[in-house]
Amino acid sequence: MATREELSEFLAGVERRAFKQAVFAVRDESHALDIVQDAMMKIAENYGDRPAAELPPLFTRILQNTIHDFFRRSKVRSTWVTLFSSLTSEDDPDADPLETLEASGDTRTESTETSYQREQIVAIIEEEVARLPARQREAFLLRYWEDLDTAEAAAAMGCSEGSVKTHCSRATHALAKALRERGVTL
Amino acid sequence: MNNQDEFGIRIRQALNDGAERLDYRTVLRLEQARTAALARQRRTGPATVRLPALRLATAGAPSIDEDRGAWGWLRGAGWVTPLLALAIGFVAISHWQEELEIERLAALDFAVLLDDGPLEAYADQGFGVLLQAERRSER
Repeated sequence: MATREELSEFLAGVERRAFKQAVFAVRDESHALDIVQDAMMKIAENYGDRPAAELPPLFTRILQNTIHDFFRRSKVRSTWVTLFSSLTSEDDPDADPLETLEASGDTRTESTETSYQREQIVAIIEEEVARLPARQREAFLLRYWEDLDTAEAAAAMGCSEGSVKTHCSRATHALAKALRERGVTL
Repeated sequence: MNNQDEFGIRIRQALNDGAERLDYRTVLRLEQARTAALARQRRTGPATVRLPALRLATAGAPSIDEDRGAWGWLRGAGWVTPLLALAIGFVAISHWQEELEIERLAALDFAVLLDDGPLEAYADQGFGVLLQAERRSER
């Protein structure tokens, strides 16, 4: 059984990567923090008595599921928001539809404001990773950031190993192309 | 190692760099989340076992348990004593009331037999008490 220290050490070791993965997925730091906190709570409450060696794959799975849950909830919420906004749109004739598009606009210029070249490159890579399609990004990060093998990644994603390989390959090509276009060479 | 793996490793290094540069608020929030999660860690070990109390190693010497048993009744008597005192009090009051009643009836009998009082005096509580008081003052 994982001791409190082992669980603490494990969570401290994965929390930053988990946060970044959540940010890549939901593109909002506040939501990403909530997701990581949820995942931490779930693993502590439900699997806190498991051996320390079992924690990494469990946490990976829990994090992915929590991210998916977030999207499911968002979808339901946006359905209701769309429904209500369609009913009330006439009440606010000055509303500018472009205002809602600003948040999801192109953020490529953000990194150019930073002064350190390395920081710029990291920021560009993070942006491009975040732009990957969800499943490709998930497979790529599990394989290359979480260092899972194909079988483990497939188990975490709930798909076949072949799908993981395909997603990874596509993600790698898409990422390499996007970085090349932005003048980043690794 | 193929090109894809090599590329993946370089991306990993960049992502690790990015993860290390989180702002302090985010790091603090993550730390708080971790602490909160640890406080709710599931624990399913063996059930808590009550260990026997400490025993002195000296042969023949009374153990702490025995000592506790010997004097334990005193602690147990803590709540019994007031109840016992209350019961004794009730019995004493009841006995005293009975004595008073006997004395009152005796005074009435005495008065009726000496024709100092009518037979209805038996039904008059106050008359009995009056006679009783008179008898006391005569003594």
